[in-house]
Amino acid sequence: MSGNGMDHIIKSYDDELARLTGEIIRMGELSISQLEAAIDVVERRDERAARHVVSSDEAIDQLEQEISRDVVRLLALRAPMAGDLRNVFAALRIAADIERIGDYGANVAKRSIPLTMVAPIEATSGLSHLAKLAAVAVRDVLLAYRERDADKAYAVWKNDVQLDEAYTGYFRQLLTYMMEDPRNITPCTHLLFMAKNIERIGDHATNIAESIWYQVHGEPLVKQRKKRDETASPDLSGLL
Amino acid sequence: MIDSTSFGPDGRPLIEEAPAPAVKIAVRNLDFYYQGYHALKNISLDIEDKKVTAIIGPSGCGKSTLLRIFNRIYAIYPGLEAKGEVVLDGENILDPAYSVNRLRSKVGMVFQKPVPFPMTIFENVAYGIRHHERLSRGDLADRVEQALRGAALWDEVKDKLKQSALGLSGGQQQRLCIARGIALKPEVLLLDEPTSALDPIATGRIEQLVEELKSQYTIIIVTHNMQQAARCSDRTAFMYMGELIELDKTDKIFTKPGKKQTEDYITGRFG
Repeated sequence: MSGNGMDHIIKSYDDELARLTGEIIRMGELSISQLEAAIDVVERRDERAARHVVSSDEAIDQLEQEISRDVVRLLALRAPMAGDLRNVFAALRIAADIERIGDYGANVAKRSIPLTMVAPIEATSGLSHLAKLAAVAVRDVLLAYRERDADKAYAVWKNDVQLDEAYTGYFRQLLTYMMEDPRNITPCTHLLFMAKNIERIGDHATNIAESIWYQVHGEPLVKQRKKRDETASPDLSGLL
Repeated sequence: MIDSTSFGPDGRPLIEEAPAPAVKIAVRNLDFYYQGYHALKNISLDIEDKKVTAIIGPSGCGKSTLLRIFNRIYAIYPGLEAKGEVVLDGENILDPAYSVNRLRSKVGMVFQKPVPFPMTIFENVAYGIRHHERLSRGDLADRVEQALRGAALWDEVKDKLKQSALGLSGGQQQRLCIARGIALKPEVLLLDEPTSALDPIATGRIEQLVEELKSQYTIIIVTHNMQQAARCSDRTAFMYMGELIELDKTDKIFTKPGKKQTEDYITGRFG
């Protein structure tokens, strides 16, 4: 996969670059499955399945290590230049972002375990909505990567504001629950962390979008985007 | 340290734009023919002063031809014709009135294969100096030492200056040729594939030398080795079939070239 419509004189170089792209896609798909599985175990309150999700993160970590090895080998043996260099550099960065996405998915699954030990609360359902937005972002950004489509990547980058807003809304909702009944504090605190993890997944999807933009254009993505996660505002009363 | 004059009336520092780099050689609409073959086609480019400019491109693209125009070495062969202007410090060196002797004292050249004269190491360097200047024996010895030091060869040859230069290793011979080139205190140094016959260690020494020499000389290097262009030049020109495709900062050429032809060449996609 040359990226510019022409193959290298040395064919095995093309094979190595194509392999790298394939590994990234595979890693990305695994991370989406992990996120979906994590939400599933939260909804089903299935502790065993949750532990399985946590242990499956290992596969993503291994893929990242493979990609790192491949990148080092490509840099050393092929000395990639120009578009190829950006391709290899972007792959390394994207792999690191996907690895973090995998970690966040595993964290969500891990926190679902203490949630099974308390009575179910209604607020849990809001988490799925967040997770769906995050999964769409990761899926779309992977598609943009596969197609080397900087505009699609930019759309993902821009849409992150929706996830940020949804997170802020959910944060507010959880605070209300906690104030209503102190018995909600334990589960809601777990849900807050899980929501934050999912919100961070969106941020990594935007990082990937930036890497794709750089890979395609050779310039950083410098555009204004409103930051909508307002939960770190010192005036929390504004959120209520 | 920013002095008070660097601040605007609103108290904010003024950002001064970097001055435009000085141009040592300005090539304008250069065409070159040999025996009817149009080898260089309407080349215009600026070579910046005290910078290293690399010229890359596939065999036959005209890069060595262009280099050879900078010291008019082509003039020794019949049937060659250059049209256009090559302006060195404000004077067109293609003008027949510009003496070759004067040009060669300003523009030194080192070739692909080291070609030491069959004489002693000392004489190899002293030969050119004697041709251009009359110096006392002591001054001449100083100049030879200075040139050999400049070419990072002095420590290796200081005890055998009277031995034949042909006994030196390939890398040493090439540095001797550079010493011979800089002994005349030129302003421009042309390097035509200077390391293609050398092993990686000797190549590394030459590249280090290029880095040291650029504070004093304007250097133009023709190379087939793209990594070498990337390692040791400030600006890189890509030529193809007698045309200049692109000339830009080296980091730009090797990370995001402006032209697809450049990208295809440097990424190894040239068909």
